[in-house]
Amino acid sequence: MLRTTWPILVVLFGTVLLRAESAAPPKFETDVRAILKTHCFQCHGEEPEVQGNLDLRLVRFMHRGGDSGTAVVPGKPEESILYQRLRDGEMPPDESKQISRDELQVIRGWILAGAKTLRPEPESLGAEAHITEEERTHWSLQPIQRPTIPDVINRNLVANPVDAFLLKELRKHDLEFSPTAPPQKLFRRLSLDLIGLPPKRDSLNRFVQTLASDGSDEKAWSDTVDTMLELPQYGERWARHWLDVAGYADSEGYTDADSERPDAWRYRDYVINAFNMDMPFDQFITEQLAGDEMITSPLDNLSAIDAKRLAATGFLRMAPDGTGGAVADKLQARHDTMADTIRIVASSFLGLTVGCAQCHDHRYDPISQADYYRLRAIFQPAFDPEQWRVPSKRRVSLYTDQDRERAAEIEVDAKKVDAQRAAEQKQFIAATFEKQLKELPESVHELARAAHATEAGKRTPEQKQLLKKHPNLNVTSSSLYLYDRKAADELKKLAAKASEIRATKPKEEFIRAITEKPGRVPATHLLFRGDPGQPRQELKPGGLSVVSLTSKLPEIPVDNGELPTSGRRLAFAKRLTDPQHPLTARVIVNRVWRQHFGRGLVETPGDFGIQGMRPSHPELLDWLSAELIESGWSLKHLHRLILKSRAWRQAVSTDATRQRVDPDNTLFGSARLRRLDAEVVRDCILDISGRLNTRASGPPVPVMADRVGRFVIGKENLNAGRPGSVIDLKGAQYRRSVYIQMRRSRPLAVLEAFDQPPMSPNCDKRNSSTASTQSLLMMNSELLLTYSRHFAERLSQLDQDPSARIDAAWQTVYCRYPTESERTATLKFIDEQQSVFEQQAAYRASDGKPPARSAELEALAVMCQMLMGSNEFLYVD
Amino acid sequence: MNESTAECNSGSRRHFLASGAMNVSGVALAWLLAQNRSLAEVKKPDLQQRVHDTTPKVPPGEPKARAMISLWMQGGPSHHDLFDPKPEMAKHDGKEFPGEIKYDNAAQSSSKVFHSPWKFQPHGQSGIELSELIPHTASIADDICLIRSMHTGVNNHGQSIRALQSGRTVEGRPSLGSWLTYGLGSESDSLPAFMSLIDPGQLPVLGVENWSNGWLPSIYQGTVVRPTEPRILDLTPPAHLKGNAQRRALEYLEQLNANHLAAYPGSLDLQARIASYQLAARMQTSATEALDLSQESKKTQEMYGLHEKATADYGSRCLIARRLIERGVRFVQVYTANQLWDSHGSIITRLPAACQKVDRPSAALVKDLKQRGLLDTTVVHWGGEMGRLPVVQNDAGKAKIGRDHNTYGFSMWLAGGGFKAGHVHGKTDEWGHKAVEDVVNHYDYHATLLHLFGLDHEKLVFNRSNRDQTLTDGQPGQVVDGILA
Repeated sequence: MLRTTWPILVVLFGTVLLRAESAAPPKFETDVRAILKTHCFQCHGEEPEVQGNLDLRLVRFMHRGGDSGTAVVPGKPEESILYQRLRDGEMPPDESKQISRDELQVIRGWILAGAKTLRPEPESLGAEAHITEEERTHWSLQPIQRPTIPDVINRNLVANPVDAFLLKELRKHDLEFSPTAPPQKLFRRLSLDLIGLPPKRDSLNRFVQTLASDGSDEKAWSDTVDTMLELPQYGERWARHWLDVAGYADSEGYTDADSERPDAWRYRDYVINAFNMDMPFDQFITEQLAGDEMITSPLDNLSAIDAKRLAATGFLRMAPDGTGGAVADKLQARHDTMADTIRIVASSFLGLTVGCAQCHDHRYDPISQADYYRLRAIFQPAFDPEQWRVPSKRRVSLYTDQDRERAAEIEVDAKKVDAQRAAEQKQFIAATFEKQLKELPESVHELARAAHATEAGKRTPEQKQLLKKHPNLNVTSSSLYLYDRKAADELKKLAAKASEIRATKPKEEFIRAITEKPGRVPATHLLFRGDPGQPRQELKPGGLSVVSLTSKLPEIPVDNGELPTSGRRLAFAKRLTDPQHPLTARVIVNRVWRQHFGRGLVETPGDFGIQGMRPSHPELLDWLSAELIESGWSLKHLHRLILKSRAWRQAVSTDATRQRVDPDNTLFGSARLRRLDAEVVRDCILDISGRLNTRASGPPVPVMADRVGRFVIGKENLNAGRPGSVIDLKGAQYRRSVYIQMRRSRPLAVLEAFDQPPMSPNCDKRNSSTASTQSLLMMNSELLLTYSRHFAERLSQLDQDPSARIDAAWQTVYCRYPTESERTATLKFIDEQQSVFEQQAAYRASDGKPPARSAELEALAVMCQMLMGSNEFLYVD
Repeated sequence: MNESTAECNSGSRRHFLASGAMNVSGVALAWLLAQNRSLAEVKKPDLQQRVHDTTPKVPPGEPKARAMISLWMQGGPSHHDLFDPKPEMAKHDGKEFPGEIKYDNAAQSSSKVFHSPWKFQPHGQSGIELSELIPHTASIADDICLIRSMHTGVNNHGQSIRALQSGRTVEGRPSLGSWLTYGLGSESDSLPAFMSLIDPGQLPVLGVENWSNGWLPSIYQGTVVRPTEPRILDLTPPAHLKGNAQRRALEYLEQLNANHLAAYPGSLDLQARIASYQLAARMQTSATEALDLSQESKKTQEMYGLHEKATADYGSRCLIARRLIERGVRFVQVYTANQLWDSHGSIITRLPAACQKVDRPSAALVKDLKQRGLLDTTVVHWGGEMGRLPVVQNDAGKAKIGRDHNTYGFSMWLAGGGFKAGHVHGKTDEWGHKAVEDVVNHYDYHATLLHLFGLDHEKLVFNRSNRDQTLTDGQPGQVVDGILA
């Protein structure tokens, strides 16, 4: 045995340096139980049938033992059955679920040290998973308390308390903030962060001048942040972050058909609007979960405000939903949609993974299977798997009574034309028939008239025989045109007239929403092993038990008698937005922080549970959460606190000491070099080239496959399965990426290449990849060529002087002027390219006609393309 | 149930510590380290900025293999009907299964024994018994090492795929191809080291996670090759830029990037992107050439079944895989469509159809590599994440019956690269349900594979947050001597 005291340096959870001078033996509560819970509890305790009669959930049960005798012999791991079975790989029987050597050593160490517990255990366990002291005291479940702001000696470094909290930790490691970034970089960073677009040249210059002349940096900075927060593009940028969390998609997913969701965009617009108006976040949560329970106007005559509340519930309709099409197992498809919805709700608001509790108690977190079905019961009346409504049946019409009345009036007019047409048609057919009849002998006229007047199926054999012999007597509405073109045209005109009249009806539009059937409150059962075919005990709606244990929160009623709906989701929203709820505020604060800094205070934004990472700055997280709640849940307040801190304004540091002490920059003593998000890459390219169409809201711009099968913007126009002529989108192709259709099976090529996530079902955290396919796209794609040329045209119109053009390009793309050597090198590069192109026929005049594009302009375009492919553009520092 | 927190995409997760990877608490870890230094060597933080690249590396051991092609049969091919005959079961066909069965789909389960309706025969000198559904594979019986005792023990697709593709059942870990390219680099400087040839149908279960670099640097991520032309988008420069113009433009770009990098020396992301432009430029010619199947003779094309509808797609991709390996690519994976082999129902018609797609091309690949002298140094792997159960699923008439998941005992084969040829390894029980003899777990398979590449699965480490991570991640993987040549 080696020495038991060992000064060691362990890096845990990526970053936090932890010095463990003396290593105490493992404890049951903190070390051993988690291992057994993961690998053993399901068969040895949780399920009704306890294998080998050995329950491992309490140490007292282990001592008592099972069929094979006592499971642990204190101090003697080799004699303990628990250790033997694990060591020999006999348990768990499922080999892939066996524990690692490290885990085995922990169990061994615990038994060796006497197999003790920290405190007496309960006498027995209830029907549900026992929540231990350690679980109850897990950091994220403790009430949010506003901490005192640390005293920091050098107050000049502190713009607001955010800095004080960060500096306190930095100083523990003898570190300070990095210097403030230069104004140009700061302005570019702010613009990309808040509105996802590059700054305009004139506002950049104004900002740089203000900082230089005014001197009062704080005020200039503060004003700049405030101004930018009020731009409508802010909502377009920040809604996108929330749409990831909500799993926004314009298609149903689940099956290959991946049919379109024509009305999902109303939810997208709702989110953008909510961010722009700084809707209190508690209201935002409530409307998304229960907008339909808040409305006061009737569903068939919605007020404008209620229509918005209903659109908010689109949140609960974002999970893949295959029930509208052909699926192998209809019941399963319904349950899958519900399960995905619950997964989205839990990860977005609670920051917890609950999905695995669908089949068994959660492996890591104190969430029992019963808890899962209580959570599900909140949504049962809305989804109602027994009386399921497919997507087309869940649409809520935006028709008002007035619209309906108007439509009915118009229908009356249209019907009149229909009637006229029917009458004329009848006459035409009769006349034509008689005309045909005249050519036949008189003797058959009577029989023929009778046959003609009789329905095809009811004709006598004799009648049939006659018509077969004289097919020209078969004058019908569909064959009339063959006999009498003029009459047919006349009828066509009338039909068109009726259509025209109908087209004047108010257009019926729909909301993608969730609603309940009034009066129907279906029961929720626990499903054994998650199988819809094996329902067990009925469960009432409820929040997570462990949260109820630590915080006093409102309960969820089975049926709120005062509402036409069950009121369950409304009560759930009330619970979530209660200031006492330990998770809600922390989870959203962490998401906002993460987007601003590129790293969360908790680096697992969707998992605040046992398996998630611990917060690097728990006090700061709590202080910001308290600020959020007390500001009336204002996200813009949170943005201001963060953006106006000194911390956010730091430069990216390359200091060696800092990198050694804090290589992952968890202490936030430096800014982070970050690649632009997919949408920002595209939007910036559009903006730089001068093409960006800033039109907001409305149905999504369609995506289609081009002739090589790449997904591009365009309206599908297939002709026998092949692309037909291109339909002009009239500038819609230049709209911001948030307005481009998000069809799960058709990711827009440029966005997919830069890691726009597939929604399956949602995304807590995007990745940032570097692949040569991205480079090929920047080098050779039609997209880059086109926009580089647009950009070059724009530059050439600005100025005739090549140097001035380069300066403008640098300012637009990089937000700075080129250095002298960059300018010289670029002039030389453009010259060379120009002479190469001048050699090519395409750039020379032919037949007296000038070339479509001059060599000079093309050379400039190549420079533009290289700037947009460069790291200085693709990264923000 | 497959739980993951909102999986988003593949890509760099260099700064991300997958929470599931470590189930040992911090205090316990400290204790562990104090108890036994060799378990997890305590190291000082790595002060030097490492440069990661894909230049070829010499493995510490004696390598037999230098490249690998994995024919990935997603969904779980039925070993009962292809590789593992149980003639005794015929007597029990349709009768009650006497033992215990772990089902995935309880709703459609039955306990009726399902004896394979297809005939088996011994083939080649080795006499390996194979089913009539795979006549072409039968013709390479003497070249393959058939493992009949595979085991991952996690009865659903996602987790078992993770076990085989990334070593553990948890999300977020690097895939096998990423580990190999991290350990060995690439012998080609003009093609990506790791390529994934996806099917024209839907992506396999877990999608892009299958070729994710996890927390390894992003240059070890698999590059996707599209299933139809153009197999790689934007591979051709626009007409006016072809040749010198683009070369000069990329030099100019590199200068811009170098100026920028000077401000942030040691940034792995910036370096990786600079390298990716260099690779992209070279790929324009080399990938175009490598993917051009018209350079192959008609005889070769027909050998892979390019002339027939059923085999044209998979055959083309197998042929591309061979061309890539020839050009120095380290790891190629050729995928079948999403759940192609997941025979829950209608196995009578669906299984023969799946076999028809891949049987000829798979066998052709082995023969072709052999005739070119490449088989000795190239591992060919054929298999999916599971096998099937010995009982009927969906007992609703012969046309509809199928078999449920089975990860307790299933088959896959390997050829070349130092695997024993014409050999059968391991056994399942009399029902073909559980592997009982010479069981090969996913971690044993991985340990063996790395061994053949001259790597030790416990020593090929990536230091992440001061902890050495491996493919087998502390699982008791053993090199399986019995399958080595």
